[in-house]
Amino acid sequence: MRRRFELPKQKSTFGLNITSMTDMFTILLVFLLQTYSTSTVELIPEAGLRLPQSSSNTNPVESIKLVVSKEVVKIDKTKIASMKNADFEAKDIDPNDTNFILPLFNELDKLAKDEKLKNDPAVKEGRILLQADSGLPYSVLRKVMYTASMAGFPQLKLVTLVGE
Amino acid sequence: MRRIKKLKINHEYEFELDLAPLLAVMVKLVPVLLLSSAFVQMMTIETQLPQVVQQAIEKQEKDQKATQITLEVKDKEGVKIIVKESGKPETVEVVPKASNGTYDFALLQERLREVKKHHPEIFKIDLSPDASVSYKDIVRVMDEARRSRDNKVRFPVFDKTTNKETQTDYMFPEVTFANTMEG
Repeated sequence: MRRRFELPKQKSTFGLNITSMTDMFTILLVFLLQTYSTSTVELIPEAGLRLPQSSSNTNPVESIKLVVSKEVVKIDKTKIASMKNADFEAKDIDPNDTNFILPLFNELDKLAKDEKLKNDPAVKEGRILLQADSGLPYSVLRKVMYTASMAGFPQLKLVTLVGE
Repeated sequence: MRRIKKLKINHEYEFELDLAPLLAVMVKLVPVLLLSSAFVQMMTIETQLPQVVQQAIEKQEKDQKATQITLEVKDKEGVKIIVKESGKPETVEVVPKASNGTYDFALLQERLREVKKHHPEIFKIDLSPDASVSYKDIVRVMDEARRSRDNKVRFPVFDKTTNKETQTDYMFPEVTFANTMEG
């Protein structure tokens, strides 16, 4: 009589080898711990904006976030004005004062007079975190500083990247 | 006589470490750290200064006759260091641009160290860049003025709380844009 073929008896469960996966996670964890941010202020870099590098090592404090790139001017995420050839458009400049940026002043003035932000230390002390493109000329920055101080925000903190 | 049973130790014995709980912890930690990671580190230029330096700046602000140091960042010439000392004629020193057309920051730092050696009580400078000078160069000038890069060079500063003289590597940490309000 022909013998019936039988598969060798195997265990129904098997142990997964996770050693290599643990190795990978350990490396990932070390990398993430290195990049862990201790800063309380969240700064999201604007697309196309190249910040200058500085040896300064102070974490930013909570302030009004102003972005001046080569294309756009923003407060937080709201677009205030457009830029053309790394300068403000003529319609945004006060005809009587060439350093005065009208839309920026209006927006900052609105924030300064906002009842909800009355007790906000950033508004109270007039602090601005300026993220400006490293390629912009000083003439643009001067207009921003001038307008900001006119609107009651004299404390300008320049945001830079860590480096030499 | 009763024979003593010899205890056998198997030195070849191997066992597998249970890594599953460790992996479970890691799986939870990775998303948490991913969310709080900053892949681009950003800082601000206005620094929290040591109390001794802060006191010296306040003293300088109160003193109307204090020496005034101005850095004029010129587009073509380079950086002009102007020192106005009360009762003395104004001194002007120019740090010319390098042959490749960029600012000579190493020479500027050297010159500023010399100025600081002569005026250790001054911590505040005025900055007047030309309209066409790039923001990147302005930040670099501020960087060079802030601290001495030479670890051997330290400047004396008087600590009011301990009534003793201490040493600091800060040169001119407080920078004011002098020409902001000019037309």
